[in-house]
Amino acid sequence: MSLRSQLLKGVLEGCILSIINRQPTYGYELSVRLQEFGLSDVSEGSIYPILLRLQKEKLIEGTMQKSELGPKRKYYHLTEAGKEALIEFIEQWETIKLPVENIIKKEE
Amino acid sequence: MNSKDIIKLNNNLREKLSEENKEVYEDMLVYIRLNANKSEQQTEEVLYELLEHLLEAQKDGKTARDVFGKDLRKYCDELITEIPGEGKSLAFVSGAYIVIYFLAIISTFHGLGNFVLSQFFDRFSNNFTFSLGSGITVVIVDLLILSVFIFAILRWIKNSTFKEKKTKKWVEFLQLWLISTAFIGATVVIPIIMPSFGTEITIPVLTFAGVGILLFLLAFVLNKKYRITK
Repeated sequence: MSLRSQLLKGVLEGCILSIINRQPTYGYELSVRLQEFGLSDVSEGSIYPILLRLQKEKLIEGTMQKSELGPKRKYYHLTEAGKEALIEFIEQWETIKLPVENIIKKEE
Repeated sequence: MNSKDIIKLNNNLREKLSEENKEVYEDMLVYIRLNANKSEQQTEEVLYELLEHLLEAQKDGKTARDVFGKDLRKYCDELITEIPGEGKSLAFVSGAYIVIYFLAIISTFHGLGNFVLSQFFDRFSNNFTFSLGSGITVVIVDLLILSVFIFAILRWIKNSTFKEKKTKKWVEFLQLWLISTAFIGATVVIPIIMPSFGTEITIPVLTFAGVGILLFLLAFVLNKKYRITK
């Protein structure tokens, strides 16, 4: 795995938890959101292995529901463990975000 | 929602895919479904999500390869590793279902067949005699052959996915014919070459058929209760 994808993997999980936390979301919608936020390099399909892993770790749960228009969809929501994991992710992100930015800026 | 209901939804929704996307998606579907030891529920749920996503992307003129990447086999393998295994109890029930169904077929047709033959030919007896030891051994060996056969077929189907060039129909037919003939041949040969040992038991052939029908009923009830095949 390239450094790029390793870097992205953990961050992407955190972002997915964060988006699902705002409101129940289904797969396609989730990938649209990620792209809207600028993560356009993330290939669309790559969210599904992550969603499966998050379900296996019991951080999210999905239920098949009728959508307003269109077919049935699997909507995800966070479990209690998922909410804790999200808080933890945000804390960890805060502790590395500034130092990393400072280091990179000095390089320039 | 049960996995069998999701399969039905999938079957209907799949028709909306374009010719090209449908071909790729169905390869993915076959490749992912063939992992017999994975949770069927999770498998069908993620397959349905992929289908829905592809349909949405199709509206923007995207193809399956745009969405899931160029290396589809690798992408599917990634998904498969993340799908949880089937729960032990459900795996056991499915295994038991296959075994019971197999025994039901053997005893019903063996019983009825011998009964019909005994009505017309003297050399076929109304009673069925077998040795307990070799009888059980034959059944176990046949079940082992059956599982090898099932895995061979699953492997064959898996290999037929994601082909750039489609294999010729007659080559496929020949391969499947060989696998099936080897299976039927082995199943027939085992009881013939098995030396008889153990206590000899004699039961009327109709009783034998009756046991088979009871096993069919049992398989039917299991299927109704656990929704194994539909």
